[in-house]
Amino acid sequence: MTRISSTLVAKDRMTCCAACGHALAPLGKSWKQHAAVSTVAATSLPGAGTGLDRRVVLRRFACPNCLRLLDTETALPEDPFLEDVVMVQDGK
Amino acid sequence: MDPITFSIIRHRLYRVVEEAVITLKHVSGSAITNEGHDLMVSLYREDGSLLMGGVGFLHHLTSAAEACKSIIRRFAGQINAGDIFLLNDPYTAALHTSDVYLVSPIHFDGKLVAWSACFVHVADIGAMNPGGFAPDAQDIFTEGFSSPGIKLVDAGQLRQDVWDTLLNMVRNPEMVALDLRSMIACNNVAKERMVALFEKYGAPTVTEACATLIEQSEQRLRERLRELPDGRWQSRQYLEVKGETYRVVLTMTKAGDSLTFDFTGSSPQSKYSVNCSKWASLGGLFAPLFPLLCYDIVWNEGVIRPIKMIAPEGTIVNCTRPAPVSVATVGAIQSVNNAACSTIGKMLAASEKYADEATAVWHANHFAIFMFGNNQRGRLAIGILTETFAGAGGARMFGDGVDLGGEIPNPISRMANVETIEATFPVRYLFRRRLTDSGGPGRHRGGAGGEMAIVAHDAPDGGIHYVLSGKGPKFPQSEGIAGGYPGAANDYVWVHGPKEAHNVERFASTFDAIPGDKEPISWGVFPLQGHDALYVRWNGGGGIGDPLERDPDQVLADVVSGVVSERAARDVFGVVIAQDAIDRTATDGRRASLRQARLEAGVSE
Repeated sequence: MTRISSTLVAKDRMTCCAACGHALAPLGKSWKQHAAVSTVAATSLPGAGTGLDRRVVLRRFACPNCLRLLDTETALPEDPFLEDVVMVQDGK
Repeated sequence: MDPITFSIIRHRLYRVVEEAVITLKHVSGSAITNEGHDLMVSLYREDGSLLMGGVGFLHHLTSAAEACKSIIRRFAGQINAGDIFLLNDPYTAALHTSDVYLVSPIHFDGKLVAWSACFVHVADIGAMNPGGFAPDAQDIFTEGFSSPGIKLVDAGQLRQDVWDTLLNMVRNPEMVALDLRSMIACNNVAKERMVALFEKYGAPTVTEACATLIEQSEQRLRERLRELPDGRWQSRQYLEVKGETYRVVLTMTKAGDSLTFDFTGSSPQSKYSVNCSKWASLGGLFAPLFPLLCYDIVWNEGVIRPIKMIAPEGTIVNCTRPAPVSVATVGAIQSVNNAACSTIGKMLAASEKYADEATAVWHANHFAIFMFGNNQRGRLAIGILTETFAGAGGARMFGDGVDLGGEIPNPISRMANVETIEATFPVRYLFRRRLTDSGGPGRHRGGAGGEMAIVAHDAPDGGIHYVLSGKGPKFPQSEGIAGGYPGAANDYVWVHGPKEAHNVERFASTFDAIPGDKEPISWGVFPLQGHDALYVRWNGGGGIGDPLERDPDQVLADVVSGVVSERAARDVFGVVIAQDAIDRTATDGRRASLRQARLEAGVSE
């Protein structure tokens, strides 16, 4: 296994959840498309200010198997997912 | 060169910068410099390349290098011992007009051997709005005096004609004169100490040590980069002005021993003054890079060599003259800071060896509130609310962010005492404290930001005015990583007070307790008159990791100390608190339920 982030590892040429080992997507492909994505309005979060843009959301990407959070993004709905790619030598 | 001599010279260079910073602070009389530490001092080689980066706002280190190089080109054949040059044009090298650079050649035995450079944010620069941040500006021509280079001191003699001309163009000439004198003193101290260094060790030895120092930094950064995984990381920052949304989009690619920051995809330049020039963007990405990747490497030209920036012309991160840029340091430059902090943090988190150096984004949204008007002594006062320098730390892999812990681009930033502000301006603080639920939730929580409210007090004109600018309250900007949430966003509220004062207004200790109509504001010039109040809250740092994995005892401690509300404990951290204790069974159930909700599609409110 090779570390990709603090929540993801590379194993058998797949991007996997570091906590449970669930395979999300082939290495180099967007793993976020295969995560459990839940979206929360930023205005609904504790501590939200009075001036927040009502369109802003917090995207939460969780492992569909163990449901641990893998990543988050602040985003407007029309913007694409941010994609991070780590080059892994052998992917094993 | 023997390693002991090299090490002594290296440390002497550190001390030269340190002593120059102390001089700058002691001579300056403004809170933004000597309390907020909105300053920078660094040393440069004879060709203008960075030799020893100092402390203060780090996005100036590379810009001041370009300032030295520009002066070398512009004044070829006219650079003499004892000269001091002034430069503040953002399209030449500076960040915005009110951050004035004074650069000073250092000669030894009649030969140019080095430069010292420093900046402070001067009290005023003659822009449309007092204090330099000019939300009303439509172009660089309305952002005050701007020079691509002018000789202020000629062979040790102050050019009185230039001095008088400069001070004739600003609103607060006494304070600006003090700002300029503090920088002259700073450069003089740096120059004297550098000459002493050359006298002691001789030019060949010092020159060799400087060259070695730069080679060493380059070698060490390249080695570090080779240890980190190759890859590509993305970040996106939003900012808003008067209903218009802008994006700073960054893709950072690390390949072998080099790093490329590509801002392709960022918004076109704005008609508002949040833009920044290319030199500002370059400085903006280096500000987090120096402390995060080079915490044990001397910040100099060697660190710059492995780094490449792509910033398309005509965008908000590389605007073209005459676009306005006076708000850049709390606008697009800070967005660049944040985006670079986020991508560097994610790259570090991908490394087994360096994961503990990763951080979520710190204090991502400065607010620039410059007050101006006659104070209680009948004198014109112009100055910033320095709370903007008391940002919140982003969470680290091993712990929470520091509450009101400062910011990455300025390792020595801090805020002035309440009493300093109250002594300078006719205002009184109702309260100033940490802000509940401002730190981004996570396994490790982002540091808390703050909140404050001020009212007019003992004002000969019935109050004062203030200039408000920045990136607005619309977007959380302190991004989390690895499942951490962002810190809460800023907020600015003009409370239109009742006509008659009463005790509640005089002593309100919470936002809700301040009587009056509450109007959100974000950009422009506003009055603080009569019984009105200005309420400001500023962002927390980003969190790291899943909030549902945070130790419940830590959540309880946060609730008890007021940093986290019971609602956030229950709804974000999944910790149920009853009678100041954790209900363990209910907490287990709550966390299971919140995890299950992550499978639900759609936007939850």
